[in-house]
Amino acid sequence: MEKYYRTEEVETIALNKLSMEVKEGEFVAIMGPSGCGKSTLLNILGMLDDPDAGSYLFNGTEVANVGERKRADLRKHNIGFVFQSFNLIDELTVYENVELPLIYTGVASSDRVKRVEEVLEKMQIMHRRNHYPQQLSGGQQQRVAIARAVVNKPKLILADEPTGNLDSSNGNEVMELLTDLNEQGTTIIMVTHSEHDARYSHRIIRLLDGQTVMENIMI
Amino acid sequence: MFRNYIKTAFRSLKKNKGFTFINVFGLALGLAVCLLIVFYVVDELGYDRYNTKADRIYRLNNDIKFGGHEDSYAVIPAPTAAALVSEFPEVENAARFRQTGSFRVKKGSQNIQEDKVTFADPAIFNIFTLPFVDGSATDALKAPHTAVINETLAKKYFGRTDVVGKTLVLNDTENYKITGVIKDIPRQSHFRFDLFLSMETLAESKQTTWLSNNFQTYMLLKPGANIKTVESKFSDLINRHSSAELQQFLHMSMSDLEKQGNYFRFSVTPLTDIHLKSNRVAEMGENGNIQYVYIFSAIAIFILFIACVNFMNLSTARSANRAREVGVRKVLGSARKDLVFQFLTESILITLVATLIAAVAAWLSLPLFNQMAGKEMSITLKALTWLLPTLIFIVVFVGCLAGSYPAFFLSGFQPIAVLKGKLSGGFKNGNLRSALVIFQFFISIFLIIGTLAIYNQLKYIQNKDLGFNREQVLVIKHAWILGNQTETFKQEIKQLPGVTNASLTGYTPTGGNRNSSTIYTSPVFDLKNALNGQVWTVDADYLPTMGMHLAAGRNFSKEMATDSTSLILNESAIKLLNGKSNLNQFLYKPLDDQMKKIGKYKIIGIVKDFNFNSLRENVTPLILTYGKDQGALNVRVSTKDVKGVLAQIERKWKELSPNQSFSFSFMDQDFDAIYRSEQRVGSICVAFTTFAIIIACLGLFGLAAYAAEQRNKEIGIRKVLGAGVTSIVTMLSKDFIKLVFIAILLAAPLAWWFMQRFFLESYAYRQNIQWWVVVVAASGAVLIAFVTISFQSIKAALINPVKSLRSE
Repeated sequence: MEKYYRTEEVETIALNKLSMEVKEGEFVAIMGPSGCGKSTLLNILGMLDDPDAGSYLFNGTEVANVGERKRADLRKHNIGFVFQSFNLIDELTVYENVELPLIYTGVASSDRVKRVEEVLEKMQIMHRRNHYPQQLSGGQQQRVAIARAVVNKPKLILADEPTGNLDSSNGNEVMELLTDLNEQGTTIIMVTHSEHDARYSHRIIRLLDGQTVMENIMI
Repeated sequence: MFRNYIKTAFRSLKKNKGFTFINVFGLALGLAVCLLIVFYVVDELGYDRYNTKADRIYRLNNDIKFGGHEDSYAVIPAPTAAALVSEFPEVENAARFRQTGSFRVKKGSQNIQEDKVTFADPAIFNIFTLPFVDGSATDALKAPHTAVINETLAKKYFGRTDVVGKTLVLNDTENYKITGVIKDIPRQSHFRFDLFLSMETLAESKQTTWLSNNFQTYMLLKPGANIKTVESKFSDLINRHSSAELQQFLHMSMSDLEKQGNYFRFSVTPLTDIHLKSNRVAEMGENGNIQYVYIFSAIAIFILFIACVNFMNLSTARSANRAREVGVRKVLGSARKDLVFQFLTESILITLVATLIAAVAAWLSLPLFNQMAGKEMSITLKALTWLLPTLIFIVVFVGCLAGSYPAFFLSGFQPIAVLKGKLSGGFKNGNLRSALVIFQFFISIFLIIGTLAIYNQLKYIQNKDLGFNREQVLVIKHAWILGNQTETFKQEIKQLPGVTNASLTGYTPTGGNRNSSTIYTSPVFDLKNALNGQVWTVDADYLPTMGMHLAAGRNFSKEMATDSTSLILNESAIKLLNGKSNLNQFLYKPLDDQMKKIGKYKIIGIVKDFNFNSLRENVTPLILTYGKDQGALNVRVSTKDVKGVLAQIERKWKELSPNQSFSFSFMDQDFDAIYRSEQRVGSICVAFTTFAIIIACLGLFGLAAYAAEQRNKEIGIRKVLGAGVTSIVTMLSKDFIKLVFIAILLAAPLAWWFMQRFFLESYAYRQNIQWWVVVVAASGAVLIAFVTISFQSIKAALINPVKSLRSE
């Protein structure tokens, strides 16, 4: 894949003929210095952005340069996102935030209640279901974000520095949750600066100037 | 999904109370003004539509150019109605009205003055929808000395409405048998009479002349008949009937008359157009003006736009706060159309709340608006049948209009950009927002200049030297009631302390009687020698009582026996005579209908032009003749105790005629009444302009708050580096003030041109827009904008920089 960012005077290469494969059930960590293309790669993998050249096969289907509607559809059924800054909607309660992906995928109301409660229980955040994001600690907010990411049972979770805004204790809890999800079959691709967090993964891909410079298989 | 949108919208609005207040209050204010204008426009457009045959009813008019003067009349010759019915197969019926002034109606020993009286043909009941509560159209007004009254009058004189067969005594001597009682004529009617007298009673109604115009005439077309066909036959109708008279009196044919640039032409006005589109001589009441309907409608739309622009601007300005939500929803699978729908829902919700507040506000302020607009509008059950659908339409239309830009703008955010915080500056890239602020102030400045121009003109009218002195003149109406004691009354009033003079005539410059007639410069009554103008009968006290001045010659004098054949002309009449006649020369006037007896009159004086028409028109030729007219007694007083003088005059009146009602007016108030519609428009414009400015400032206030919030960090850094409050306020204000200046540059020339072209040019006497009007409007707008912005700017500039830097 190739991706460029252009201004009137400068063209910056974000991804330079980068090639990689992630198998179903894998937990992959992507690392590298700032500006190496980690986030660009994650955005393309999450179908939030298109590559300028190359191909992206998702589950055997070419998704590079497909229309916005198709991408939104693929995204809501197959991918869950976890962000460093949680990105919860302030106006919605914990329950409503987690329920949102189910509304977009058209899940019936009675099913939604069941599934949201199930995932809140699993994330041990049920007692906070009627609270608003601002009433929660950072760790709790990230758990809500993970609950929201998994409630639709996605095939792939993309996590962008999921512990970046958390202290070490909450960070470890989040990593444990992601590991559990992976063990239950969910593929996880995580961008991180933390060697500690990367050790939870099966494989670390290191990027520099938009290219893969090293791959470490974790034992 | 929908519930989720409502929930999010409601919580978002609750969270941003200031923003919500500005939006809801601004929209509510705009909508309330709009609703009031909608009431006004619907009311104005609804005139005469109570008539079930309204689409087939037309009034006939006469446009005349003769003797150097042209005019448009709402009256036509007496025999026309009968001719229309007998000669035009398209005409189903025709009827005439003729007003001869007020009548005194006897109630017990008292005589009560009734002003809303007309003679009418019985066919009016077949043409107009005037339902009977007692009696029927079959017998009504058929015989001489019969009357039809409305319910109000029936109750007033008899205490009940089943009074067919009873008699009304008019002017002490005339008995009229009541042949019907009708429901009161609806308020939205261009005529509203209480008392109809049978046309058969009036000798004048049997006149056969086609050269005298005194009857308002209406025709009802047969279903399917084409009005154009009828109109095309008018020329032949006039030729057929008036040629002989023209030949006899003026010794010429119609074509000779037309060759000299003169004309008599009939035209029609559809019944439902009379109120708004007709302003002719001898209308049956005070009509409206379609221009005002257009002006107010435009103002309503502008104010609504200003309110909608606030919504758009504030929504996009705070887009940074909503951007993350958009990003998250998109990442979670929301399609753009879902987001558009969500934001439109939010907008419609705000509009709904604003509309409910506006409806209540409009309802509460309706009495005040009625007072300003001179109306009697009310919200009835019938009105709800159009009001409710209108409100629903407003909610959806304004909701979509105000919400459309934010909806498409916000839903277009790229999720990666917003989630990475790359769209932090919702206030940046605000070209459209700037354009919208310019648009708001453009309208506000336009309205300020427009309002100042109207007020300036009204002030000019108030202060203009009219050629007579309207202050301290009492007009005692209907002096003729006193009969042969009128002159005695005048002399006694003249003796009262505080009274300097008194003149007996109904011809006053501020209203009252009018008499258009033709006078000739030669005893051969040829069109070339004709001078058409107002001919007023006055006494020797007229000029001094009115404070008029002679340009040449002398006033009438009781001592000069020859003055009964003397004339005083105004300067305009002399100008029109074009040197053919001047002081001490003679003019000639027919003294009978056959134009066989000729009167010879000497011009003894030239009175300086004085305004006796509206200032919209130039002074026209006027001829004063010396004689007795008992229409009114005009009394000039020179005391501060006008009330005391008035009480003495009333006492004298009662002494002479104890049973007759006494009525009066002040000449300056009569003058003001001529410009009442302009004054109403002026007051409404001031109110609406104020609202427009308040709404625009609300928006600016909100934008300034967001601008300050967006530049919080910058302000902090600048303060740390040594910037003072003044420099911070200047920095934050200058961007907005720049926009106001651009609005001034655009609005000032356009408003100047518009008001000059469409308002001031309709006045023959006017005060053109002066440079200071533009300066006042411009500096007012800048000052108001600056004060609005300063509140936020100073607040931002006074914040401890540590706070703003820490929050970043």
